[in-house]
Amino acid sequence: MTPLLTLRGVHKRFGGVHALDGAELTISEPGVVHVLIGQNGSGKSTMLGVLSGQLRVDAGELRLDGQPVRFTSPVAALRHGIAMVSQETAVAPDLTVAENVLLGRGLVRRWSGLSPAATRKRAQEVLARLELDYDPRQLVRDLRPDQRQMVEIARALSTDARILILDEPTSSLTDDEVEGLFGAIRQLKTQGVATVFVSHRLPELFAIGDEVTVLRDGRTVAQAPLAHFDPHSLVEAMVGEIAAREPRQPRGSRPSSRSGRDDAPPALRVRGLEVVGAVRGVDVEVGRGEIVGISGLVGAGRSELLEAIFGVRPLAAGTVELDGAAFAPSAPRDSIQRGLGFLPPDRKTEGLVLGMSVRGNVTMVQTLERARLRSPSSGAETRSAQAACDAMGVKTASLDAPVGSLSGGNQQKVALAKWLARGPRVLLLDEPTRGVDVAAKAEIHEQLRAVAADGVGLLVSSSENEELIELCDRILVMFRGRVVAALETENCSEPELVRLAGGHT
Amino acid sequence: MMVRILGGAWSATSRYRLVLLLVVAMFAAFAITQPEFATATNLKNLLADSSILWIVGMGMTFVLLTGGFDLSVGATSALTGIFVAKVLATGMPGGVALLLAVLFGALIGGLLNGFAVGRLGLSVFVVTLATMTALTGIVNLWAGTDSFLVTAPIVSQLGVDELLGLPTPIWVMAAVFVVALYVQSRTYFGRDVFAIGGSATAARLAGIRVPRTLMLVYAFVGACAALAGVIAVGRVGAATPTVDATLALQAIAAVLLGGTALTGGAGGVTGTAFGVLFIGILQNGLGLAGVSSDWQNVVTGVILVLAVMGDRLRFGGSLRSMLPGRRSLTGPAELS
Repeated sequence: MTPLLTLRGVHKRFGGVHALDGAELTISEPGVVHVLIGQNGSGKSTMLGVLSGQLRVDAGELRLDGQPVRFTSPVAALRHGIAMVSQETAVAPDLTVAENVLLGRGLVRRWSGLSPAATRKRAQEVLARLELDYDPRQLVRDLRPDQRQMVEIARALSTDARILILDEPTSSLTDDEVEGLFGAIRQLKTQGVATVFVSHRLPELFAIGDEVTVLRDGRTVAQAPLAHFDPHSLVEAMVGEIAAREPRQPRGSRPSSRSGRDDAPPALRVRGLEVVGAVRGVDVEVGRGEIVGISGLVGAGRSELLEAIFGVRPLAAGTVELDGAAFAPSAPRDSIQRGLGFLPPDRKTEGLVLGMSVRGNVTMVQTLERARLRSPSSGAETRSAQAACDAMGVKTASLDAPVGSLSGGNQQKVALAKWLARGPRVLLLDEPTRGVDVAAKAEIHEQLRAVAADGVGLLVSSSENEELIELCDRILVMFRGRVVAALETENCSEPELVRLAGGHT
Repeated sequence: MMVRILGGAWSATSRYRLVLLLVVAMFAAFAITQPEFATATNLKNLLADSSILWIVGMGMTFVLLTGGFDLSVGATSALTGIFVAKVLATGMPGGVALLLAVLFGALIGGLLNGFAVGRLGLSVFVVTLATMTALTGIVNLWAGTDSFLVTAPIVSQLGVDELLGLPTPIWVMAAVFVVALYVQSRTYFGRDVFAIGGSATAARLAGIRVPRTLMLVYAFVGACAALAGVIAVGRVGAATPTVDATLALQAIAAVLLGGTALTGGAGGVTGTAFGVLFIGILQNGLGLAGVSSDWQNVVTGVILVLAVMGDRLRFGGSLRSMLPGRRSLTGPAELS
């Protein structure tokens, strides 16, 4: 029998990065739930972009019902019955449910203009396919996030989609809401609509999936009925056998660390920290000179935890201590003055001022308390900026070059140098090497170890488990706002982290 | 050595080069074609006539550097004119009245616009439009339809008298420029302004006091508008209850002509000086040539678009990249 859809030999490059390197994917028949998984950077998003017509491939073949097709735009994909619901909800909050469902093509037009009644009726038909009884006249603004997502799915269906792509649809849903979503997917199954389902949460995959494609480094490393896998073998396929069997060599024993200082209070102690809708009662301790990692899926609450400690996000409950002294996070400035530092995940908009010179960026935090109408002393400033840049190994033609003219790796080093110039007691790092090439990544890890060796406590959140294992002394795993496991790095492996982060214990 | 210094100065003009060249070209053209143009009297008049826009433009530059703008400067300026007339009428010494007037403008800017934009995080457009509207109303309520003849010496000293052979407004322009240039490029405050315009989030996460800095920036433009208002009273000899609603837009145009980015974080007061000169020379020269002053607006509009387009070209690389296209489909999407 001809499969519903096949992708073969797909190549896609972005600059020097080979996002897809001969990947393939086969959706066997209508009504099947096809699971697509892979670690960060494996090419999942690119694959979805190709399927939904958002990206054009460099090479490769797409067949639908055995016929070769070529999508030049998302609209072309829609015409062939492939609709995607992306991770961020894209609904118009001030329009009604009916209008959102039929947005773009399905609004019913009469000679007198749009007909609200007919529009409502048609929207209701679509919603009925998902067994939803939303009032079509309700404003989407008043819906819960999971209901908004359903509206988006309904919209995708309204185009008579045969293949529905759901990119991490469960990442912001509660258990009950996930059940509701699965109900809808099962409903579609009976109507012959195939679903491509992306999620990192293994229990969910096994609950809903029929067949699976596993991507690693832009290649398809496994495709089979899901029944051929168990959670363990699936994770092994994702991370690769070598990585799975040989636990990565953890970072060597450092002379500093926690030993011999057990009586001193930890550099950072967090108790029962809660952030509304994101973090639910988290305890963290970071010793002086210790590097503690936080693993977890996107939406597990890692970023929110760091932001709450730094005072960017309000704490609903919990206490924070720095070197044993109680501290109520309120604003970044206050946190900085008490010895905290925070490297945000997006250096381009949060970590750096790209149009400003390297010098201006590096000295920004260091000179916070100077009288604002004073002149920066160029000699002293050059020395300290140069020292911080040297310590981080920043390569720049001049301290006066705009940071935006540097490579990604060098930019990230400047973002770190900014904090080192001030010398914090605890440094919070969110995705410290995102979008940085391998060489720069290794250098940054090296520098971070040196910073820790000087007695600074580091709390590192990363979506790359490999990075955490290489860098950290201990790793906490978060799942849906809670710390579900705390592991010493020596006895933990990537597959174990992936399993724990996916809600498997 | 000389070449290197000149080369450095030349490359520092990159953000406002178009306007700089046009200023020089126009100056030469008018000097050749209009015999009265390049005379000392005319040039003094030209500069003194530009003083209001110049002074407001200096303050406006800081606001644009933070990524905002201020529509209320015309109203602030007019209100300060009434204010200073009333204060002087009580017999207050001229210097004190001037100081009070500038403070008055700073308070309006800082406490209304600065507070609403900086602390409350409201939209710059809405806030400054509201301030402009409300202050315009207050001007008319306060002054009725009467003009106040102001005879106190301070206003004529500031508006029309000469000092060391130059009209005082020119000295005031120079002083405001020097202060603005110093604050912009030689203080931590100036750096904060650029940081906020570059990325307010990055600035806040680095501990910079964003709301406070914004309040001070709006206070500064308010003070500049007030000073301009007093000079305007001096040049007319009376405080008139009319708000020049176009002053804010003209000032913003001069700042943009001078290469400051509307999104903030890049530019500076030197460019604004050339932007103001451009408008001033154009107006003066066309006036001498007997051409309708409306042409000045047409030309300014065209050059404004060219200046902003030039800015885009410098970053975008080619004209093609500015056109709406299918970039989004082929751009480097997030890899994961």
